[in-house]
Amino acid sequence: MAGNILIVDDEPVVIKSCERILQPEGYMVKGSSGAQEAMGLLKNNAFDIIITDLKMPEVDGIELIRWLRNINPSVGIIVITGYPSQESIKDALELGIIDYLPKPFSPEILIDVASKAMSVVKAMAHVKETTEEEEIEKKSMELLSIIEKNKYKPGSLIPVLQQAQELIGYLPPSVQRLIAKGLNIPVSEVHAVVSFYSFFTMKPKGKHNLRVCLGTACYVKRSAEILEKLKDFLKIQQGEITPDKRFSLETVRCLGACGLAPVVVVDHDTYGAVDPVKATEILEQYK
Amino acid sequence: MPELTIADLKKIKEEYKSALALREGAYRAKVTVHMGTCGLAAGARKVMDALLDEVTKSGVRDIIVTTSGCAGLCSREPMATVEIINKSPVIYCYLNGDKTRRIFKEHLMEGRVVEEYASPSDIPFFNLQFLRALRNKGLIDAEKVEEYIARDGYQAAAKALTEMSPDDIIKEVKASGLRGRGGAGFPTGLKWELCSMSKADQKYILCNGDEGDPGAFMDRSVMEADPHVVLEGMIIGAKAIGATKGYIYVRAEYPLAVKRLQMAIDQAKEYGLLGDNILGTGFNLDIEIYQGAGAFVCGEETALMRSLEGKRGMPIPRPPFPVNKGLWGKPTVLNNVETYANIPPIILNGADWFKSLGTEKSTGTKVFALTGAIKNIGLIEVPMGIPLKTIIYDIGGGIKKGRRFKAVQLGGPSGGCIPEHLLDTPVTYEDIVQTGAIVGSGGMVVMDDSNCMVNVARFFLEFTTDESCGKCPPCRIGTKVMLDKLIDITEGRGKDGDIELLEDLSRDIIVTALCGLGQTAPNPVLTTIRYFRNEYEAHIKEKWCHAGVCRVLSTFYIDEEACKGCMACLRACPQKAITGEKKKPHTINQELCIKCRTCYEACKFGAVKVGPADMFKDKKSQGKSEIPLNESEVKA
Repeated sequence: MAGNILIVDDEPVVIKSCERILQPEGYMVKGSSGAQEAMGLLKNNAFDIIITDLKMPEVDGIELIRWLRNINPSVGIIVITGYPSQESIKDALELGIIDYLPKPFSPEILIDVASKAMSVVKAMAHVKETTEEEEIEKKSMELLSIIEKNKYKPGSLIPVLQQAQELIGYLPPSVQRLIAKGLNIPVSEVHAVVSFYSFFTMKPKGKHNLRVCLGTACYVKRSAEILEKLKDFLKIQQGEITPDKRFSLETVRCLGACGLAPVVVVDHDTYGAVDPVKATEILEQYK
Repeated sequence: MPELTIADLKKIKEEYKSALALREGAYRAKVTVHMGTCGLAAGARKVMDALLDEVTKSGVRDIIVTTSGCAGLCSREPMATVEIINKSPVIYCYLNGDKTRRIFKEHLMEGRVVEEYASPSDIPFFNLQFLRALRNKGLIDAEKVEEYIARDGYQAAAKALTEMSPDDIIKEVKASGLRGRGGAGFPTGLKWELCSMSKADQKYILCNGDEGDPGAFMDRSVMEADPHVVLEGMIIGAKAIGATKGYIYVRAEYPLAVKRLQMAIDQAKEYGLLGDNILGTGFNLDIEIYQGAGAFVCGEETALMRSLEGKRGMPIPRPPFPVNKGLWGKPTVLNNVETYANIPPIILNGADWFKSLGTEKSTGTKVFALTGAIKNIGLIEVPMGIPLKTIIYDIGGGIKKGRRFKAVQLGGPSGGCIPEHLLDTPVTYEDIVQTGAIVGSGGMVVMDDSNCMVNVARFFLEFTTDESCGKCPPCRIGTKVMLDKLIDITEGRGKDGDIELLEDLSRDIIVTALCGLGQTAPNPVLTTIRYFRNEYEAHIKEKWCHAGVCRVLSTFYIDEEACKGCMACLRACPQKAITGEKKKPHTINQELCIKCRTCYEACKFGAVKVGPADMFKDKKSQGKSEIPLNESEVKA
């Protein structure tokens, strides 16, 4: 089972040996000699597993794990430790690590631990996907009653789609099929409407949805720079969602609050006279 | 509440008029917190909370605390109006919780006006306005139908339903000269007459609240602050054309407007002002709200109707016109929110009253959303024919300090930019068209010398390219090709002949596009070329964006003579690219500079200047001798 692994250890020899053992097994392995550097790598790359030492100069392993849990909880964590009984391993266990490697370890143990961890991570990802489908399943009764109410009303497709999106958060193909069947409209027509209007989305939105206004008044007051800053800060493009599903980023054409330009909206809260720095500070309030 | 008759309407009016005017009753003071979208975003909720808290704590019972929509001066939100019996109202601005508590203590309890927070009410911003469509702005609680009735609400509908025939209504509206406030300026009375002549078993009356022009928020304010006026205008229109079903199409970006309109519809139904047998007159009209789903093109009438039918919002060729074949193939009238807001006073006061303001061909008043690089940002209503200069310099208070006026953008993506030498142009449908712009729905965005006009044109083309529905090739492909050219020019790849190509393409798109979106899309490009051709040429030939907006085409440097050595730019620079000592001229290290404009904005002395892209081609830092020779030729 292949996957991406990041090794964090202040001793280069540990990184080297892990690379030599794991690469022939089909894993993509990257090494980092410190937590700070690792954070940079984790922000910009998708790793399935990280194997980290706990005792490191400057930022230690526990702090790195804590940070990672916040940023991307789906990465599997394995810690390397000389003394499995020490306090720090307890802390690490509380933060939800998958396994630990007692130092020194043999190549067999490393391969075994890595492959077990990898299957746990992959299984979790699968569970997540199915729970999303189950979520929709759970709400299908409500969805059906929305459809039923609008069934005989002419021109009810758009209001039904709006209510469905309000209910589920987005409009995946399964929901579109359900609506098409319920309203007796071809699926192609439903999809044509979904793809035409910018309000509809087929991707799930984050827990908090950010919208940057690019209307004229906001634009001449440089809201484009706010957008750039947010893209940079969240490491996503517009229309995307952060890996931890906390934020999604969108643009909007004029919210009619030009007196407060430039404007950023988070969920239902409107913020006026925003600048790039203030925009990132606003995000702090939304955990 | 039982369904009202016309006599009941009069009774409610008298009853609530006194409450509104504070003349009688048990109350000695009233505080109105202005809670429109902008007020709420600026923190009106905190003002309200503080106020309610103080009222509860002090236990006073003779003060009314109420809410109302936008007060118009958006840049000074949050605002509140305090009225004490027998005294003229005082408007407070830039409020917060603490300021509100102080106003409560000093003004409401002790009767002393807190002068430092109060806004003078006799400033030109208020004096030069004539409120007709916005007559209830900031005065009534949008969520209470009684307050609307107290200000003559539904009197016009009662008159139209009992004393006037459809022909009488049409005659009156035609005589008033009212033209559609959505942008194109089609005579409203004529539209109604054409529809009333169409024969059909079902007709529809629609209201266009899909205010899509970026920079426009007039209709939002009306729908939020005075939703019943929209319903009343539609009732009168429905009687004129013979419609029994109406829809208000509101964009989904305006949740508060949707909420207030829905409340208004529910109340009107409960009071017998909508539904079957309105006011006991035997006239029926049902109105529903329909929320848009984020497509600018749905502001176009045929596209809006397709959207109402639950389809993609794509326009269809006209004729047949909607007055003959509109929604579901039935005769349909579509008017804009502001147009409907003008109808009740025309019916009540007559066409001559309406024509007393404005010019011969453009009668009445027009609401504008004044915004951009101007001191007083807000919603204004002025008589047609007023010169642009008066709006910008007297009502708007002029340009922000240290900057110069460059252009005013009217009509959004369908309009154009009007330069300084044309500021005497009166605001009428005919005169504005002469400049290449249009009156439009009322967005008025003022730009100063820190705006690059080529970039502004690019912004609007990005908008139209994005919002083109894709049905007709001139719009779908033409605007894209124009946008590509503009991107080239703003990113330093412009070449000779590009301007001419843009002009050529514009002309072709205007004559061949299917709907208003495509036909007007080139206007922002054509007007900027017409009035700011030198900027296009500077971008193409000198590789120089004089405003310093197009990064690739600007070099920021410090004018050693103007620099006072105050270190403001040095502290502001995120790259630490500026060096220098206190009271000595600073320099920018060009290798570190990311052209973020922060220093340019931070300098209070205008010492940070913008030079062409290759100004310091071979040198890493600036020096006095390297300032280009043609610097003196640069216009301010």
